[in-house]
Amino acid sequence: MHIPDGLLPPQVCVGGYAITGLATWYSLRQINRREDPSAEVPKAALMTAAFFLASSIHIPIPPASVHLVLNGLLGVVLGYFAFPAILIGLFFQAIMFQHGGLTTLGVNAAMMGGAALLASFIYSLHPIAKKWLGDRWTILSFAFVGGATGLCFSVLIFLGLVITQIPAGFNAEAERAAIYGLAIAHLPIILLEGFFTAAIMLFFYRVKPELLPD
Amino acid sequence: MKGQPIIWQRIRWQRIRWQHLGALLPLVLLGMAERAIAHGVVLEYNATQAYEVTAAYDTGTPMAEAQVAVFSPDNPSEPWMTGTTDAEGRFLFTPPSPGNWEVQVRQAGHGDLVVIAVEGEAIAAAPTAESGSPSTEATDTTDTPGVDTETAMESPATTLTPGESSNSGSSSPSITGLQRGLMAGSVVWGFVGTALFFSQRNPTTKR
Repeated sequence: MHIPDGLLPPQVCVGGYAITGLATWYSLRQINRREDPSAEVPKAALMTAAFFLASSIHIPIPPASVHLVLNGLLGVVLGYFAFPAILIGLFFQAIMFQHGGLTTLGVNAAMMGGAALLASFIYSLHPIAKKWLGDRWTILSFAFVGGATGLCFSVLIFLGLVITQIPAGFNAEAERAAIYGLAIAHLPIILLEGFFTAAIMLFFYRVKPELLPD
Repeated sequence: MKGQPIIWQRIRWQRIRWQHLGALLPLVLLGMAERAIAHGVVLEYNATQAYEVTAAYDTGTPMAEAQVAVFSPDNPSEPWMTGTTDAEGRFLFTPPSPGNWEVQVRQAGHGDLVVIAVEGEAIAAAPTAESGSPSTEATDTTDTPGVDTETAMESPATTLTPGESSNSGSSSPSITGLQRGLMAGSVVWGFVGTALFFSQRNPTTKR
């Protein structure tokens, strides 16, 4: 999922940084408008740690081994905090494990953080369904959809990016087939992250409901 | 009486054939000198200095059938050669000139780039051997087991170039599991510390 250094042309990397800069500024501004902007920092810091570690949990599905991303979970649990959290998590992944890269940090953050903001938006719609489903099932279903959509959306952006940016000299057909294979390998992970997000939210609902985002 | 013309005809034909053969003889001899003009196959083998690039995911799984592009020092935009790795993620190539050769390995949007600094001495013409018994082996390499870094390359020890210092490198520093765990642990501790700091500093926080 993490695009490494050297695979994308410089224009795309710069574009990624531009989008990431804008999204970070917007997220921080939204956070700053709150009554107590630092109230959610402990939760965000712990979720960043979870995000940082998630990429080390590999699940071998050919052709590549895929790993948990948890960007949907961060979006659902943290809301606007998700974007800076993912940016920081990706930065540490890049410098510690060469997972991703510093030139592609912007692209990766836009890919995963943007999808996390979408997941956060999906979850924020959950009060609509409360009347019919009840608290518990509403949270469960919206958390599942949010968590799954977060990863699904970033896989789609990843697909679009790497398929359009296959450099000359490589066999585009074979590379495309491998990319589609990788996308299909992500389907079980998308479901798994959906369930995982739902489980975490259910845990919060039962144990500490005040941790749930509004 | 009737048979004579027929005999003469035969003799004439034979003459013509011999004349033709006589004309072909220098060509045949020339062909033998050139070794193979038509269907004869001659295989030769040389021992050369080749570089083996081993590509693996950071989990240790080899990148089988991954696409490889080799860029020469003179032209970093057009690949000098392309190919695919074998089932063990290995790819072999022989740079013809010294310089910084770039090898890019890519599979399904994952990949890495390694720069191989080829020294002039390494390329010095290796003694060529020609043998009556043909061999299809072009290069003589040794296996490189136990490479667990993302992309590592290992120069083979060719038997005909003794005393050659084998140089190897990697696109990413190889770290052990313990180091990895320590690094991850320290970063996580940083996050937990941040969480603790903010939760203590701000008593109105929900945590």
